[in-house]
Amino acid sequence: MVKHVIDGEAGEVKLLLGNEAIARGALEAGVSSATAYPGTPSTEILESLASVAEKYGVYVEWSANEKVALEIGIGASMMGLRAIVAMKHVGVNVASDPLMSLGYAGAVGGLVVVTADDPNAYSSQNEQDNRLYGVHSYIPVFEASSPQEAKDMTRDLFELSEKYATAVFLRSTTRLSHTRGPVRLGDVREKNKAAFHRDPARWALLPPYNLEKHGEAVRRIERLSRDLESFPYNRVEGEGDVAIVTGGVAYNYVKEALEKLGIGAEVFKVSSTYPLPRGLALRALRREKVIVVEELEPILEWQLKIMAQEEGASSKILGKEFFPRVGELNTRIVAEGLARALGVEYSEEEPPKVDVQLPRRPPTMCPGCGHRSTYYGVWLASKKLKVKPIYPNDIGCYTLGFFPPFQMADLTWSMGSSIGIGSGIARFSDEPVIAFVGDSTFFHAGMPGLVNAVYNGIPLVLVVMDNSITAMTGHQPHPGSGVGPLGEPRPSVKIEDVARALGVEHVKVVDAYDVRGVRDAVVEAVEYARAQRKPAVIVSKRPCALMVAREAVKRGVELPVYVIDQEKCIKCGVCTDRFACPAIVKENGVYRILPELCVGCGVCAQICPVKAIHVGGERR
Amino acid sequence: MRTGVVLAGVGGQGVLTLSRVLGEALLDKGYDVRIGEVHGLSQRGGSVVVFLRYGDRVYAPTVAPGEGDVMVALELIEAARRIRYLRRGGLAVANRLVLPPPMSGEPPSIEDLVESMRRAGVRTVVVDGMKVAERAGSSLSLNMAMLGALVATREIDLELSEAENAVRRIFKGRILEVNLAALRGGYKALKELSEECEG
Repeated sequence: MVKHVIDGEAGEVKLLLGNEAIARGALEAGVSSATAYPGTPSTEILESLASVAEKYGVYVEWSANEKVALEIGIGASMMGLRAIVAMKHVGVNVASDPLMSLGYAGAVGGLVVVTADDPNAYSSQNEQDNRLYGVHSYIPVFEASSPQEAKDMTRDLFELSEKYATAVFLRSTTRLSHTRGPVRLGDVREKNKAAFHRDPARWALLPPYNLEKHGEAVRRIERLSRDLESFPYNRVEGEGDVAIVTGGVAYNYVKEALEKLGIGAEVFKVSSTYPLPRGLALRALRREKVIVVEELEPILEWQLKIMAQEEGASSKILGKEFFPRVGELNTRIVAEGLARALGVEYSEEEPPKVDVQLPRRPPTMCPGCGHRSTYYGVWLASKKLKVKPIYPNDIGCYTLGFFPPFQMADLTWSMGSSIGIGSGIARFSDEPVIAFVGDSTFFHAGMPGLVNAVYNGIPLVLVVMDNSITAMTGHQPHPGSGVGPLGEPRPSVKIEDVARALGVEHVKVVDAYDVRGVRDAVVEAVEYARAQRKPAVIVSKRPCALMVAREAVKRGVELPVYVIDQEKCIKCGVCTDRFACPAIVKENGVYRILPELCVGCGVCAQICPVKAIHVGGERR
Repeated sequence: MRTGVVLAGVGGQGVLTLSRVLGEALLDKGYDVRIGEVHGLSQRGGSVVVFLRYGDRVYAPTVAPGEGDVMVALELIEAARRIRYLRRGGLAVANRLVLPPPMSGEPPSIEDLVESMRRAGVRTVVVDGMKVAERAGSSLSLNMAMLGALVATREIDLELSEAENAVRRIFKGRILEVNLAALRGGYKALKELSEECEG
């Protein structure tokens, strides 16, 4: 359904996701280059641009990681072209090195860096607030409140970026990126002409030019703080004795919370979060009481308090003492916080609650997932070796190995860290260390850790869970996939070749469905690493089962269905409790395979101790 | 005036598509609409909740706890899990299905779940959406069957024909036919249920 959603005529109204709206805004601005590494909640920005890339002649790239994605964008900007770079909040950490230089050197062609933050950490290891990156890098930060505004603002930010010769941050959050709302489309502008903007004194950040650039960056932010008072997406609405300063998604909750409370206030909707326009701040500081409502960190609040101090304003500035710094906001939380800050009565009844115990439902690996069979094989190896391995794990679908029955994620940290942190543990551990990393994550940030392990003689066993795609974010291709963002053929880089080239001497490729093969490869690798004090790599391969099943449906191919022979079944529970395939259930003491979920991988038939499982079920 | 709809289910059941069809239909009618989705890992068989709010002018993308007017749930454990988003006296339309999460032991029964939702102050109706969907031609049309049931409750300002138009715009070919049949089947199933209650 993602296909071509952002295409359409000016004036047409479409129900778009915030991310699709951002993509449309870039398209309307005449963007030439769009680069990204997938990551929730940012992924649909590049996906939707890819769907119209051919028609509008936009260069679209799934980059190996966010650092490269940003560097491509910087290069395009030096060519005078408009570029958008999209990533999730933690992706900016990876891109932060070129980002800091970008803050000094600035942009030629409009350069919009989208950081999609994740308050509540729905799909992330943390809920870091990337508005702080703006402060750190001297790159101004903008926030929209609705899909329509996200579309319009993205379009206009390219213009602003060129006018001030600076890159800009468009900061979104899950509740904007993944909110659908009506968006009225606009005209698509022509692209800039490509020509390299040669300026070594600007682009080569060497002394003394870099200090000069630092000074320019400081002055640019000061100038923006003056000029952005008239930024059309900053607004003052309503009347009342108090000022409320807010922005981004929080603005929506403020609007509805005020209605709920029946209170009037002067609402400062700030869309240029950093730098906070001084003139706008001064208007708010005319009020005795200023309440700041923002998600996560007090970025607006800090700026306002500093300006109040500088300007000698006596306003009482209230913020994080009334609104949580942890988790996302909603209308109810904002209404309660506003009521307390204003000293008015407000109470809501307790929401309904059931009095039965509900089982938790964490996400699970899909039926036919090669990660499950790999984990099972590694677990068998640990039994055979009589060891208790330490399992550093990484970021991807395979992170689900954390949950029972596998519990094979002793740590998950940041992209590629299973190899680096795993090496730190392996250097000092008597028990074997078996690290897991996905294929996309390996290309993204795994290679430096692995070459380091070779060079420094670290006895780490690395199992690469290779399903040939970035699966968790919805099947985006990477350097090993063999296809590009439009599905066109591309070179496919083999992880086993990379590992060998990095100097790993013990590299084995196994079929992830071959449980005994995985087990034997792990036994061998653990013994090798222990004896040689060197890293060993196992690449466990199987294309993502979800992708295979979808492909089969598309092509009209019937996948086999397995069935349990009830006469042979000894009800040992290995298939459900130890292997935990969601397609196998126990109902009233009887084990059964659900034909609508079975994708015919056949691994359950391998692991059944009495061989009671065979092909022959019927698909409904 | 705004109406808050909570859509609950298990990843893979089609909750996102259901919200999209409902959103398109309400947008066609001239309403402002916001749909708050969550993507990514939650789709891998996990618990899914989507919020849809509509009215003359909508700001917030989420239904805050205690503020929802109506819920449509594709599975009963998820229905029970998400009733905290409904106001007391709100209505839940749930599919008669319990999908026990893997390795979670004996799940609560259909009766236990429905009774506990009613005890919590939520009007609860249960329809056999799976039966409707299978009769329409595919269990994958469960989401449209439940949309039909939701429309039949008259808790949202939408006629069956308006929902049908949105379905026609979004789907094509055989999938469209199956989905239309499921939508109508779900509508009818709930109508018959309410007639029984009144009768």
